[in-house]
Amino acid sequence: MEIKGEENIRATVQTVWDGLNSTDVLLKSIPGCEEIQRTADNELQAKVMIKLGPVKARFSGKVTMTNVQPLKGYTLNFEGSGGAAGFAKGSADVSLQEADGGTLLTYVANASVGGKLGQIGSRLIEGSAKKLSSEFFAAFAETVAPGHRDRAEQPSAEDATPSDDGPAASPKAASAQGSNRMWLAIAAAVVVVIVAASIFSK
Amino acid sequence: MKAPVFDYVRVDSVDKAIGLLQAHGDDAKILAGGQTMMATLNMRLSSPQLLVDISQIDQLRKISVNGSTLHIGAMVTHSEIERSEVIRQHAPLLSMAVPHIAHKAIRNRGTWGGSLAYADPAAEWPACAIALGATLVAQGPQGIRRISADQFFLDLYTTALAADELLIDVEIPIGSRQQVVAFQELARRHGDYAIAGIAACAQRDGEMLRQPRFVFFAVANTPFQATRAQSVVDGKVLTPGLVDEAIAALRGELNPLSDLTNTSATKLHLSTVLLKRAIHALSAGH
Repeated sequence: MEIKGEENIRATVQTVWDGLNSTDVLLKSIPGCEEIQRTADNELQAKVMIKLGPVKARFSGKVTMTNVQPLKGYTLNFEGSGGAAGFAKGSADVSLQEADGGTLLTYVANASVGGKLGQIGSRLIEGSAKKLSSEFFAAFAETVAPGHRDRAEQPSAEDATPSDDGPAASPKAASAQGSNRMWLAIAAAVVVVIVAASIFSK
Repeated sequence: MKAPVFDYVRVDSVDKAIGLLQAHGDDAKILAGGQTMMATLNMRLSSPQLLVDISQIDQLRKISVNGSTLHIGAMVTHSEIERSEVIRQHAPLLSMAVPHIAHKAIRNRGTWGGSLAYADPAAEWPACAIALGATLVAQGPQGIRRISADQFFLDLYTTALAADELLIDVEIPIGSRQQVVAFQELARRHGDYAIAGIAACAQRDGEMLRQPRFVFFAVANTPFQATRAQSVVDGKVLTPGLVDEAIAALRGELNPLSDLTNTSATKLHLSTVLLKRAIHALSAGH
């Protein structure tokens, strides 16, 4: 399962960077996020309450990063667990570049889903990913750069390139001096979306 | 697979249901036919503290005609729609669609209103409601609110209903004699979730279709109305060339979401096939 997409945030690198270094911003941006913790330099843990349709469940996820190329890209490895509901794990390649004064982030994620989540199937993974990543970017852009958001580049459904089946990914935007935290933030978002996506696949 | 512990209240009026939704907020869930809710509970994907059973509210169980409007109450089951002569006569699109909904056992309990309020992207009723220009009637603490079907479905499992509102009724304008309808769905096995489907409605005028509505389901997070394809066909003499033009227009406006077994390209191809079949059915219409 593969999901890809791209996002452009209209904010200076510094602004985005500051936002991504703020757990407050992340808490506000990740849909349903209740808690984010750095557990090591390259590791982040988050707790997220997913609410969508009839589903309402709390998930915890862990993200680690590898293959770091400051200012260019990064591979995120993630796993999320919803207790009895099942788990999701996978990885996402994220790359960044400057674009028109903003920051363009592209991502390609692969994931697998197990437990009851897997049984239920993955019918709606892409749709869920799209919805949640859209919410994430809307909140993130509004938080780090209120009013600066270019409507044309909103992370709306059109932005996420529908791809072959995949779970989800969610991106996050930023570019900054090789900051690991930025990537961790992206990772958190990716995990959230993937985990969420898996749940809804009934 | 056992549900978590919850409280259960069976109410006999809409007001009582709304009162409970207000009092318990997020912790309360409406139970209608339970064909999605019970599975979700048993999977422990949701753990509401309170289920509000609305199945015994008589007001919600009626199918009736009032002037030029057909009313279908929220608690009417799929099977009741399947058996209804009134619906066959005044909204035949629904009679065509209903055999595609899951299996008999599920149709016996699952409800019209439950399916609309749940808003599954692969569900038949949301697309039919838009194709027929239906109006959804919701009741909340402030009273009754009417929402056009094409404004009701906002995103994946997300509707215009507020947390303390209950869908009570749906109003469907009774079509003229010229109205023609078509329904097509493709699924791996009968009763499975659709891979792609279309609900279509138009006014037939000799060799032409006027005001066509082509509403696809299972291709996006909400029902997708193919407005470009519609305007290609609207008011023009139907020819094979025109159908090809409509298909080309659909290719330009629809970018379906994939699923595990069907790519976006597959779903787009299937959608063009369905559009062609639907246009032929409409032009042969009854």
